Amino acid sequence: MIAGGGAQRPRSLRTPRDELAEATAHGEVYLRRLRRAQLALSLLALTAFGALFGVLPIVLYLLPALQRIAPLGIPLSLWLLVLPGPPLFVALGWLYTRRADALDAAFRELVER
Amino acid sequence: MIALAAVAAVTLGTLGLGAWGVRFVRTTSDLLVASRAVSRWWNAAAISGEYLSAASFLGIAGLEFALGTSALWQALGFTVGYLALLLFVAAPLRRFGSYTIPDFAEARLRSGRLRSLGSVIVLLICGFYLLPQLKGAGLALNVVTGSPYWVGVVVVATVVAINVAIGGMRGITYVQAFQFWVKLTAIALPVVVLLVHLGGLPGRATLFGERLPHAGPHGLRLALSAPERVRFPAAATFIADGRVVHVRAGEQVQLPRGLLRLPAGGVVPLAVGAGEVAQTGAQWSRPVGGSGQAAPLLVYSLLIATFLGTMGLPHILVRFYTNPDGPAARHTTVRVLGLLGIFYLFPAFYGALGRVLTPQLYLTGQADDVVLRVPAAAWPGPVGGGLGALVAAGAFAAFLSTSSGLTVSMAGTISHDIWPALARRWRAGNRLEPWRESRWRSSTAAARLASPGATGVALRRRRFRVAALLAVLPPALFALLVRSIDIGILVGWAFAIAASSFCPLFLLGIWWTGLSARGALIGMVFGAVIATSAILAGLALGEPTSGAGALLTQPAVITVPLAFLAMVGVSQLDARRPEASGEMLALHAPEGLGLRLAESEGDDDDPDLPLGRGRRRERLQRG
Repeated sequence: MIAGGGAQRPRSLRTPRDELAEATAHGEVYLRRLRRAQLALSLLALTAFGALFGVLPIVLYLLPALQRIAPLGIPLSLWLLVLPGPPLFVALGWLYTRRADALDAAFRELVER
Repeated sequence: MIALAAVAAVTLGTLGLGAWGVRFVRTTSDLLVASRAVSRWWNAAAISGEYLSAASFLGIAGLEFALGTSALWQALGFTVGYLALLLFVAAPLRRFGSYTIPDFAEARLRSGRLRSLGSVIVLLICGFYLLPQLKGAGLALNVVTGSPYWVGVVVVATVVAINVAIGGMRGITYVQAFQFWVKLTAIALPVVVLLVHLGGLPGRATLFGERLPHAGPHGLRLALSAPERVRFPAAATFIADGRVVHVRAGEQVQLPRGLLRLPAGGVVPLAVGAGEVAQTGAQWSRPVGGSGQAAPLLVYSLLIATFLGTMGLPHILVRFYTNPDGPAARHTTVRVLGLLGIFYLFPAFYGALGRVLTPQLYLTGQADDVVLRVPAAAWPGPVGGGLGALVAAGAFAAFLSTSSGLTVSMAGTISHDIWPALARRWRAGNRLEPWRESRWRSSTAAARLASPGATGVALRRRRFRVAALLAVLPPALFALLVRSIDIGILVGWAFAIAASSFCPLFLLGIWWTGLSARGALIGMVFGAVIATSAILAGLALGEPTSGAGALLTQPAVITVPLAFLAMVGVSQLDARRPEASGEMLALHAPEGLGLRLAESEGDDDDPDLPLGRGRRRERLQRG
């Protein structure tokens, strides 16, 4: 990595980092790509959340029979309401955080190349 | 007595820690740097500690007791809001470096008007959120000491006003983190002990079967201090004031003052006017049902309000800036999800135990008391009393920490966003007497010149103190007037307004370059107005619990998409879009590239303001 202000260097030696710092067209492209990748990741996580947890109310509504199955004397619908949610949120959040950090790291590598 | 001592200890402890916190802040040269040394677990506990309020501590169990297990969606919603915050807001907002929602609105869209509008909505949300905290305090003190309802409201409002006015509860991350563990212990330990003592959940038929709430094996004795109008869901016999009375199913009667006795197993009547209907165990335990709050559409509306509304809670956002950087904000939020998930397991047990052990609360319509009353009812004697004291102390910790956070947010907004603007307008409209004008000039000039001049800080501190009192007063008065609304419902409103105004601002402002200031302005006004008017209409109609009317009290499913549409639509109409590349760089560029936006400490030295509330001059620092 070459230290020093990029502005004085000849055009051919400009790095992505200089591009970004001066918000030139190239820099904007790099940043837009990162922003889109992060947004896509967030939307993916949101979709997973919707598919796994968001369907729970409608499943419980459409399957009242879950009320009659009662492991340990408590209806299955209540087990489903209380137990799986929080661990799922943490797991989703943890996976998302790992991927988001990795995207940031990849971007940093690109810029500092 | 022991309960009173516990509550007093928590209150005095809060005041003491507040005073200690002021010293801590003043002797630390750079509050921000000090705070940034806080680890992720401490930070997560602090966020959770500030977040867990009366609604979490009393409201969820109260709603579950009254309406059924469908109320537990609220507990899930309170947790899941942090997932939305994590996915879309936490890291970019931390990187951007604005510390309040009005700050963000102004810096992202370069519009002073947006800042003023944001301030007004902050006050609205905080007010709606503060009201149930004060109501909870009134209830808790009433249960613990038998004092009238208004005493608790006045005590907590006064303590919080004093605490905030002397500058407490500011940046005290460790105190809030400690509060989380106090609250978790206070709600978890009694439940575990009681369930072991009772050998599991008692009264399964009342909880999941065909039984209505009924008097226990020894019957029910209740001293009524005022006549009570009730409806019996089934035929029953009772003794009121020494007279034996028979009633048919569905009959309404006026219970006289004095001693009421129900025989063992006798069905418990419901207070008329509380809007609740008698439910068998099977109906009560159904998480999603056909009508009322359990209707699928309302469940989804509640989940949307909490999922998207959490990011718009002013007192929570401030806490996120004790994170050193964007990735730390993400990791902290994952931990918050875990901590809240553990806490919200427990309120469900209080609602269920209450249905079996304290059915008289159906009769008196005091569902929100259920958490406080269950321990003594489940284990009469000193053990139950001690556990009850623990719960009451935890509840007080919840009221005090959340109320303080809210009041700091409101006072900061009043004294720094609204007051100066109003003062300018007022001075423009009225000629002042010369001496006052000159005094004003000298003080503001000093504020501008010195950085920060002693006069400027003193002036702002004085304003902040008056603002703290102004902020607490209206919610306190409302809390004294409206006793009949459930705590959980009130907090639901705050979430609905936040989700309909601030959530579109954040999501579009962070991820969409095309957002214009006018679009954000109109979208926020529109969202806040329709959400508020739906709620007020619902209140005017007496909280309808079924059909389309019920949607008025839980309007997020309609108002959030409308607010998004308005914001996007108006922005698209604007021909001149702002160039947002600098803002996008600040929001999304990872740390460590040497091109972060540096935060100059500007006028951030006022110890009365919440963490980092000063306006921050931002400039691009190149590596």
